Amino acid sequence: MAVVLSKKSPSAAEKDLNGFRKNRDLSFFDLLSIDQVSLEDLDLIFEVARRFRDYKTYKFSFNKGLSQVNAFFEPSTRTQASFDLAAKQLSMDTTSVGSSGSSTKKGESFIDTVETLAAYNVRTIVIRCSQAGAPEFVARHVPASIINAGDGWHEHPTQGLLDALTMLDEFKSRDLKGKTVTIVGDIKHSRVFGSLVRILTKLKAEIRVAAPETFLPDFVENFGIKTYWNVDEALVGADVIYALRVQEERGAKGDIPTLREYSKTFGISEKRLKLANKGAILMHAGPVMRDIDVHSALVARHPQSRILQQVENGSAIRKALLWLMADRVDGKVKAYTPL
Amino acid sequence: MTTLLIKNGRVIDPASKRDEVADVFIQDGKIVAVGKKLKQKAEKEIDASGLIVTPGLVDIHVHFREPGREDMETLETGSKAALAGGITSVVTMPNTAPIADNQTVVEFILKRSKELDLITIYPAGAITKNEDGAMLSEMRELKNSGAVAISDDGVDVDNPGVLLSAMEYAKTHDMLLMNHCETPELDESGVMHEGWVSTELGLPGIPEVAEDHGVAKGVMLAQRSGARFHISHMSTKASVASLRDAKRAGLTNVTGEVSVQHFALTDEECRGYNTNAKMYPPLRSQDHVDAIIAAIKDGTIDCLTTDHAPHIEPDKIKPFTEAGRGTVGLETSFAVMNTYLVARGHLPLAQGIALMTHKPAEIIRQAKGTLAVGADADIAIFDTEKEWVVDEKQFFSKGKNCVFNGKKLKGKAVYTIAGGKLKFDHGKIIS
Repeated sequence: MAVVLSKKSPSAAEKDLNGFRKNRDLSFFDLLSIDQVSLEDLDLIFEVARRFRDYKTYKFSFNKGLSQVNAFFEPSTRTQASFDLAAKQLSMDTTSVGSSGSSTKKGESFIDTVETLAAYNVRTIVIRCSQAGAPEFVARHVPASIINAGDGWHEHPTQGLLDALTMLDEFKSRDLKGKTVTIVGDIKHSRVFGSLVRILTKLKAEIRVAAPETFLPDFVENFGIKTYWNVDEALVGADVIYALRVQEERGAKGDIPTLREYSKTFGISEKRLKLANKGAILMHAGPVMRDIDVHSALVARHPQSRILQQVENGSAIRKALLWLMADRVDGKVKAYTPL
Repeated sequence: MTTLLIKNGRVIDPASKRDEVADVFIQDGKIVAVGKKLKQKAEKEIDASGLIVTPGLVDIHVHFREPGREDMETLETGSKAALAGGITSVVTMPNTAPIADNQTVVEFILKRSKELDLITIYPAGAITKNEDGAMLSEMRELKNSGAVAISDDGVDVDNPGVLLSAMEYAKTHDMLLMNHCETPELDESGVMHEGWVSTELGLPGIPEVAEDHGVAKGVMLAQRSGARFHISHMSTKASVASLRDAKRAGLTNVTGEVSVQHFALTDEECRGYNTNAKMYPPLRSQDHVDAIIAAIKDGTIDCLTTDHAPHIEPDKIKPFTEAGRGTVGLETSFAVMNTYLVARGHLPLAQGIALMTHKPAEIIRQAKGTLAVGADADIAIFDTEKEWVVDEKQFFSKGKNCVFNGKKLKGKAVYTIAGGKLKFDHGKIIS
């Protein structure tokens, strides 16, 4: 028999957040790709996230009684911590599974593992894995909302959202029309790029990419971007410099001779930073390989660096998403087909 | 004495250059007469009015998984699937478990196939021991036990020195060498065609040059060795161009096939991480499909195959990168040819049938694929107008992994006769 739970009266902070939400819901039930996110969704997520950011670590009771599994089948520091803290600050119970201690190591199939986790009646499952499309595949077959926290070379949508929020706040604008974003580094193996390029396109930014040919996937210009082999040319006139890490663990080995040569050719130095527009900002999804993709002096505390701002925005974005996804005003539930 | 008369069908037998409404009379497993209004009396008559009567189809590239993976397919279920598609002769690839690199496996397949008495199975043996590309298999033994060709299908013979030796040795024993041409060092561990779709999906791509290079290498070595060299499942612009150039240069010892999915579908099928669309070689982009169709039209391509590759369901309900590779195709290949080549105006029906009957039979040098008087009575009767939606769950094959699942196709086998006996009749196997 279903038990109806009554919600206790909201706190002042919760009433304040509700005021920003204005009874709106997202158009999607799982967050798998930026392709699913409409401009209305973006407005809602950003408005709510900004307010969450103001409340820092305040514990909201919005998602009380709901549970979340952080299923990180690949190593993660910031994303896993960020999702976990976000859920806890919404009063969710969370647990984490990883590949080393999980049944996938015993030969259990990916879908069986995730179906089992979903059977604990969890509301959200955050998945990071090495296989592109795996979150999309399981999302079709489980009732829990799936959040893609990075799938292979494909996408990392919450990273794209936090990056966009960081840029929009920097330029105090609702879109990025007239702004040039130069993305430097290992495009091919980067899911950060996969989400970034999609969200920047939605926000009408001019996108440039600088990388050796070995780091450029086929037909990447079809995203509507301009590619450069010479990073200095790509930086002239840039408003945002976005450096990506060389993903040796994802197959980048052999695409460049040495990290030493890469650092000299594509690493963002103080001198290179000066080629960009005055007031340009430097961003990086982390983890930074100091003196390889970005020179040490520029990393966190340089006045033009927004790397720590990105981390803070990540927390706010994830809180906004978890609230909006798990606590729907319209009461609609996700459709899925059990296997 | 068993007799069968097929009446009033449109008999299309490209090998005899026949395309007319006629009757076919069969006695004791052989075709005895073909002509208008035959007078012979038969124990059984089939009215083929409005249908086409063709030689039973010959598919020289299938995987039947037995011995070893009978959970995926057996010689029996594979044979029944073939009959349901109007196919009466197949060449089975040797990558079973154990691999058919020795006479025992070949003899087992032939013995089992004889017991089954469904279709004609021609086993292919392996080029190298264990298909590991190092030591040559005992080709003379393989041939003497009944193998019609050798192939390391699933992988290329990567080392060109080994491939050249294999060709020279195969030539010594007049053995046909089929090769899966795909240079592994160039495939970048890809799981689909490298292009815009793979970039959008974030999946590792297989660059077309992996196949281009493998085919070019194979043609070069075939020229040097003079061996009978057959290129399996071609899928790229440059590989069909290599074959065309080889033929223009007078290399009569080189032939090539296309699997029907490679002229019908593109890499767009992989969207949504559809694991039924995962195969090697991968489904390519439209420009490659166009080049493949042009090569079929101009006669560069010698035959059409299925590369029928059944899998168990757990192998396909996986993340795309880990899913099993291949699609089943025996029950759809005629319909795919008819739908995507004939109905779209690329090819006359008779030419499509030639590519699925006497032309592949000639490559393996077997007296199949014709309705000439005296030939084996292997016959397929199709309704070329019948439209149907593919439902893989209905297949006789154990493999329910079909890239055409859910698609509407035109053309279906109504009757299939093998060895003079009616084996398939309106959706049912008769045994």
